[in-house]
Amino acid sequence: MAAKGRELKGKGVGSSMTRWRGPLWGSVFFLAGALLLAGCPKKPEVQTGGPGAMAGDKMTKGAPIREAPLRPGEKPSALKDVFFDFDKSVLRTDAKQTLENDLQWLTANSQVRIVLEGHCDERGTNEYNLALGERRAKTVRDYLVAGGVDSKRISTISYGEERPFVLGHDESAWQWNRRGHFVVVK
Amino acid sequence: MTGLWRILLLLLVLWGGMPPANGSAQVDITVTRRAVQRIPVVVVGLQPLQLVSGGADLAARAESILKGDLEFSTIFEVLPPVFLPFDSKEIRLGEEKKVLPSLNQLKVQALVAAYLTKQGKDLVLEGRVYNVPRGAFVGGTRYFGDVKALRTMVHRLADEVVFRLTGERGVASTRIAYASVERGATELYLMDYDGHNSVLVTGNRSINLSPRFSPDGKLLAYTSYRDGNPDLYLLNLETGRRKKVSALPGLNISPAWSPDGRWLALSLSKDGGTNVYMMGLNGKKLRRLTNGLGISVAASFSPNGRQIVFTSDRGGSPQIYVIDVEGTNLRRLSFQGDYNASPHWSPRGDKIAFISDRGGGSFQIYLMNLDGSGIQQMTTVGSNEDPAWSPDGRHLVFSSNRSGTKDVYVMHADGSGLKRLTRSALNNFAPNWSP
Repeated sequence: MAAKGRELKGKGVGSSMTRWRGPLWGSVFFLAGALLLAGCPKKPEVQTGGPGAMAGDKMTKGAPIREAPLRPGEKPSALKDVFFDFDKSVLRTDAKQTLENDLQWLTANSQVRIVLEGHCDERGTNEYNLALGERRAKTVRDYLVAGGVDSKRISTISYGEERPFVLGHDESAWQWNRRGHFVVVK
Repeated sequence: MTGLWRILLLLLVLWGGMPPANGSAQVDITVTRRAVQRIPVVVVGLQPLQLVSGGADLAARAESILKGDLEFSTIFEVLPPVFLPFDSKEIRLGEEKKVLPSLNQLKVQALVAAYLTKQGKDLVLEGRVYNVPRGAFVGGTRYFGDVKALRTMVHRLADEVVFRLTGERGVASTRIAYASVERGATELYLMDYDGHNSVLVTGNRSINLSPRFSPDGKLLAYTSYRDGNPDLYLLNLETGRRKKVSALPGLNISPAWSPDGRWLALSLSKDGGTNVYMMGLNGKKLRRLTNGLGISVAASFSPNGRQIVFTSDRGGSPQIYVIDVEGTNLRRLSFQGDYNASPHWSPRGDKIAFISDRGGGSFQIYLMNLDGSGIQQMTTVGSNEDPAWSPDGRHLVFSSNRSGTKDVYVMHADGSGLKRLTRSALNNFAPNWSP
């Protein structure tokens, strides 16, 4: 992997909508998906609750910016990230639903190779979180391989808590940072 | 990087100009582990010195650094000049003996006379140490360097005072490595133990983590994503040469040095799970210590090199375990709370520092005995992580978000003497104290 150059600082805030079940509040959030990386917007878009945010949910006041550094050669895809509970690497029900759609897309686009990034929220130690992120990435990989994706198409890497998707110090940020993130590289 | 090498070169030059601080130096005052009484000491001399008229008084600066070092050591109590029956600035080079009787009446144990003068382009700092009850000269050193080296020269003198009076190695000349988040990158830095003279050591614009000094202080082990994967590197701090020592598939993280400097413990995920391994410095002789599909990270050696304490979630949540370096005799040490991590074995061998979340979602630093008993809470404010001992076991460095951002702090091993070392808009963390 040739990641020695300067980071491309693209903002991964696109316009696609992802259905995601918030575990703590039991409500359904709509959020602007991070994954339709249609080019590289020049300015970060500030999310104020997302287009479909329900009144009273935590997203309406936090308005955190989400960002994901682009990898060199990264391509747009319809793959959606999956999110985890604190200190857990088991797939939640909503994550499995997301992965079923991801599986369909990967099957339809069988030439595509992906990197699965494992990420954590800022709580806990940096070193433990590197291992936890690794386990999350491998959990997602194993699910996809069990679903028929050739394991040679998937590589994994953990960034622990070092590359937060949302900057912030409460659950409104943390919920986005505990994730398995798809990057299409070929 | 050039700033770092200039400082290293300067240190070498200074080192060459110093008389060797050998082991045969007279030890006058025995300090025991349990001693809570500090040694009363008086600092005299340091007549004002300005390089240009109206410039800063370098002697006053030196005095402040010296007294700060001596106080921070927890060995000395520096008596304020107001308690003295004479003007501390009036004492001239060679006149020190005449004040010893009056200091003895005040129960002062030690006198440090320091003088700062200019000689050509150099500053000369001369330090003389006296044992007051005996009325005897204990030793002294003269340091040469330019004005930029003043802090370094004074730290050397402070360590000389500690050594002459206690036989212990002081920490005033030590440094602290840490990670610092910058825009889009996490870089490693070194700074003096008091937070001054910070220098960048990585500068590759990727993620660099877990800096760990070798026992001789010459090498820095760390994890870097500079080539994409979290690989383990050794950086020679004298030559600047960098060597990739472990680049196995998956994680190559969380290094720890064996006390003899010949082995690294590290965590690898190549075999499924993340386990602790031992490895030679050339990356060879790899040997697995822990087993299973769980997470085992954050190894720290006992001072005798026989055991390793580490964090593992093998019991369902992150807890602290100890294992013999042969990979046998695994025991769990922590039982309270759902998240105990970051163990660091005291260089004195009797305590393990660690962090624990015992409610409220924030981490605090604790100490425990080697069997898990005798737990002492060391912090209460904010969330505190990454505890690491000073080489003399008298202090702890750690990171804390108590002021908003994560920054590096130090405190004494009894929890007193808190001092903030870094300040920036972004996070500073993962401190490690040099020998």
